[in-house]
Amino acid sequence: MKPHILPPEPMTNEAITSRLTNTVIDNINKGLIKKKNLVYLELNGCSGNIISLLNGQNPDFEYTLNSMVNIRYCNSLMASEGEQAIEKLMNTLDEDYILAVEGAVALRNNGLYNVIGSWQGKPLTGLQAATMFGEKASHILAVGACATHGGVSAAKPNPSQSVGLQKVLPQKKMIKLPGCPVHPDWFLGTLAHLLLYGEPETDNMDRPLMFYSSLIHDRCPRRPFFDRGIFAEKLGDKTCLFKLGCRGPVTRVDCPTRQWNGHVNWPIGDDTPCIGCAQFGFPDAMAPFISYDTTKVVKNE
Amino acid sequence: MQNIELLRLQMNNLVTQARQDIYTLSTQDDSSVKQQLLQRLWDTQSSIHFISELLANQAISNLYVTPLQQLTPVNSRNTNQLQIPPITPSPTLPSQQANQRTFTIEELANYDGKNGRAAYIAVDGIVYDVTNNRAWAAASHFGLTAGKDYTGEFASCHAGQQSILATLPVVGRLN
Repeated sequence: MKPHILPPEPMTNEAITSRLTNTVIDNINKGLIKKKNLVYLELNGCSGNIISLLNGQNPDFEYTLNSMVNIRYCNSLMASEGEQAIEKLMNTLDEDYILAVEGAVALRNNGLYNVIGSWQGKPLTGLQAATMFGEKASHILAVGACATHGGVSAAKPNPSQSVGLQKVLPQKKMIKLPGCPVHPDWFLGTLAHLLLYGEPETDNMDRPLMFYSSLIHDRCPRRPFFDRGIFAEKLGDKTCLFKLGCRGPVTRVDCPTRQWNGHVNWPIGDDTPCIGCAQFGFPDAMAPFISYDTTKVVKNE
Repeated sequence: MQNIELLRLQMNNLVTQARQDIYTLSTQDDSSVKQQLLQRLWDTQSSIHFISELLANQAISNLYVTPLQQLTPVNSRNTNQLQIPPITPSPTLPSQQANQRTFTIEELANYDGKNGRAAYIAVDGIVYDVTNNRAWAAASHFGLTAGKDYTGEFASCHAGQQSILATLPVVGRLN
């Protein structure tokens, strides 16, 4: 039998993602793998995903991204602006690139509800960019709730007629990273896996299993309260938040162990229910986010 | 003080369990067994956390120690129970004698899970109780609210997954 040393290496989620990204950077530096181009499109959304990515760590996000890939276009991070920026974007069309898209695709008025720049004097719509770059990308990452299924942008009444990226690229295989916003580790970890080993294993909804396999409920530190039927009656209570409308029992992602803002805390750790932001159908299908007039502990009915 | 003793005993058992699991894990190659052990380890540590919170609260309040049975679900009928009940996957109501009751669709609408009322839904003519079902937090499920007939919705989302219904307490039939 093999000798076992315990623990062999840190097995925290944080350590696993940082190992992935560090291995990519090491292998690139040693010339074992080649850097790929990355096109990061921000379409119809709040740009929350790119803001969330600024929380990426070990080392910092910008360094990680720059040493893992060549960012060819990203309107929040690139120095160029105006047509110059769009020209850089267009130049990548002839190259090999990975496409990451955040934000939904607005369909209304032929996409004119979401213009991301202008090209040769004409407005370039998110719809045009998504289809043009989606068709030619070697891999596609749909980043965040809006890109994966429409998210907040497609919430009722959806005046811009926003849809998820898959709707405009029905034939293309893509990796979906739902979440509002996406956790930096989910994006950087998936990107690193893509560079090192190709596409990660995904579930039937195209979510990488390494981040989206367990239910929040199954890893919730308040699970013993649920199992014993002890429920919070108001925000701030330390017991199970189920009766207030917690969506942890239907949301598949690793927030309880990964945590946010540099692995510091997460909603339930701060006494507010999970609103199911990483679940398909968020936000409409996850509403109401909080209810005070719900079933109490059941008395003799 | 008997309750604090019981909690301590429970805590010690959990710690022993966790140690045993860590040891087994270090000698285990089968990944499926590992997964089960990790799950149990996780549950154990959640329970340790739970009990330590209880103890801490009692230490702070320094009042009469609440008997444990009051912390168990109200629907638990065994009032003499002194030990923490075993962890069950989800709290379910005791099956009531009312499970042959018939509902009209209007009657069903009263069980919308609001203001302390129970949450019932109907599928294929059978009325189920989803009050404490984990997927029905705040008596709603993916935009659906309790108190309605969801035969069509169930068929479109959970076709062939009768096992979901099998876990729900039946309260009656829909007329």
